[in-house]
Amino acid sequence: MAVDAAVRTAPAARTGGRRLRWSIGMLALPISVWLVFFFIVPFGLILWYSFGDKPSLYVTHSNDVLSLDRYVEAVSPAFLQTFGRTLEISVVGTILCLLIAFPMAYWMATKLSPRRQGLVLALVLIPYWTNFLVRTIGWQITLSPEGFLSEGLQALGLRDGPLEVLYTMPAVQLGVVYNYLPLMILPLYVALERMDHRLLEASRDLGANAFESFRRVTLPLALPGIAAGMLLVFVPLMGDYITPSVLGGAQGGMVGQMVAGQFNRAQNWALGSAMAVILMLAILATVVIFALVARLVGSVLGRVQRVDLSAALPQQGGAR
Amino acid sequence: MQRRPRRTDSRRGMGEMTMTLNSTDADTMAAGQPGRVVLSGVSKVYGKAYAVENLDLDVRAGEFISLLGPSGCGKTTTLRMIGGFEFPDAGTISISGRAVHALPPHRRPVNTVFQAYALFPHMSVARNVAYGLTYGSVPKAEIGPRVRDALAMVRMSHLADRMPAQLSGGQQQRIALARALVNRPAVLLLDEPMSALDRKLREEMQIELKLLQQQLGTTFVFVTHDQEEAMTMSDRIAVMNHGRIEQVGTPSAVYDAPESAYVAGFIGQQNFFSGTIDRADGGAVGIAVEGSRVATSRPSGLAVGSEATFAVRPEHVTVSATADTGVNVIPATLMGVSQLGSALQLVLLTAGGLKITARASRSVEVPSTIGSTVWCRWDAASVHVFPGSVAA
Repeated sequence: MAVDAAVRTAPAARTGGRRLRWSIGMLALPISVWLVFFFIVPFGLILWYSFGDKPSLYVTHSNDVLSLDRYVEAVSPAFLQTFGRTLEISVVGTILCLLIAFPMAYWMATKLSPRRQGLVLALVLIPYWTNFLVRTIGWQITLSPEGFLSEGLQALGLRDGPLEVLYTMPAVQLGVVYNYLPLMILPLYVALERMDHRLLEASRDLGANAFESFRRVTLPLALPGIAAGMLLVFVPLMGDYITPSVLGGAQGGMVGQMVAGQFNRAQNWALGSAMAVILMLAILATVVIFALVARLVGSVLGRVQRVDLSAALPQQGGAR
Repeated sequence: MQRRPRRTDSRRGMGEMTMTLNSTDADTMAAGQPGRVVLSGVSKVYGKAYAVENLDLDVRAGEFISLLGPSGCGKTTTLRMIGGFEFPDAGTISISGRAVHALPPHRRPVNTVFQAYALFPHMSVARNVAYGLTYGSVPKAEIGPRVRDALAMVRMSHLADRMPAQLSGGQQQRIALARALVNRPAVLLLDEPMSALDRKLREEMQIELKLLQQQLGTTFVFVTHDQEEAMTMSDRIAVMNHGRIEQVGTPSAVYDAPESAYVAGFIGQQNFFSGTIDRADGGAVGIAVEGSRVATSRPSGLAVGSEATFAVRPEHVTVSATADTGVNVIPATLMGVSQLGSALQLVLLTAGGLKITARASRSVEVPSTIGSTVWCRWDAASVHVFPGSVAA
């Protein structure tokens, strides 16, 4: 009888499962539509335009003749120089964000009471919620040679002349670290906050000092947060064009500005598209290379740290 | 490995020397025994309240001692001070004769089994167990065999390559035990390690843990709020309350000869009677309870007129349907009889509303008509008396 019942209910259960899967699929519909119309279609268009050209002064693009000529045109010495600077600002910016955010997130997650954590989290987020452009213009005012910082430093005798940071690469570097820092703090904070702090006590109990406990327990457990934070900072930073436009001037330009320039001022959508595609491929390649290196290091470390249980006890210990 | 012969040596040495040296020197020698833990005058204050207040405890080398008490009694704080996770505000702690109260955990010869086990989630079982061996003086070639032996000791060899998340609670606990013991600490601290296990598994682990302790000869300091657990495993029990130790003694000593009403009530069950001592004859004292008299033949040192609490264990109360008079006899109504497996428990209510619990072996004939009047009686020698009228 029990078998009978099982046979009878089995097909019903399967239909139920299919219905469930179907309704879960429905939940993904809005985001799917969104992705198709606002990501896949625009990206496809950019890719398509990049194979075309700009036929005349008053037309932005044409795909009558397909070629890779725009890519050849894109990799000009000026573009490569700006591209190199963009990569440098992004890599250095990501590392600086990590170095600044980690102690901050660690302090928030381990040293503060839960109530204070909420307060400090709000203090981290409030500037982030402020308009990106307004924040960056704030730095423009702060760093300008006639600004309060410059005059204050001169009044204190710390500088002989006015501050000469604005419209240089260091100004852009400073601006991006400031702008993207919350994106690094948040995932790190989440990872560290989730960590069971008794694990550190266990580590100390087993003979590890504070540094060793950090290296063998805190750091490995924070790795997912570090990876997420680096992605969240590096990818949008590579494409940023507001920060260099406001703070960079002629010396601190980034690729994002060149792409925007082709689309807005030169009205050459074909060339702009080719530059955008190169930029996206470069971001993808950097992330993939980084992930592969990280995985390689992980597997090497795993092999080194493996405990060999098959080994025989050395002779001098055989007294047991 | 080298620790144990050294300990027997020092013991023998101490025995020879007590003949010639005075007792202070002998004590100093004994304090140097590997595995002995001495806490003297230890206090820990949180805010304005004492978590632990002026606590003295001498844990002998190689003994299994339990710190027993309700939550908030300071037992875990005491353990954490021995382990180095908290530092005492006053007093000294020495382990194996060395003052350690100012040392961080990694420089103390102790290891801990944590309440929630605290296994490293990103490491395999084998790497968890090997963790502490990196920091000792263990040669690298010996780490693998040591881990293998430790896993075999807790019968978990087959799970060496698993991750902690793939283990059951009982398995995690064994790994935590192996991870601590593989370092061969002088003292193993256990912070309520059984509280997350179900009853049956807990009982099995209790026996296994006790056998392991006897086999290794390591000092175990075990924190628990479960008196049965403490009774089953311990050589001695320190009963704690409000940051102080109420009594330290063998399980039978704290059960049969409690030194305070608190200990009497916390270990096992008790029937408490409180009142004013109104008669003392030949060392025995008594009080009036609802027209009956409760008296003890034990020495109490209490004078007539002082407040006192009398305690009688349920297993010392006999219940019969035949009317009786005299000292230590109280008439009551039988309210219920319940099976405890090996024994019967009778719940009785006196005319004045006092609840009395009696326990009888199943082979003994007891009245079973609910609602009938019965007479409870007990031996004067089984009555303990404590000063004050605060009963549990």
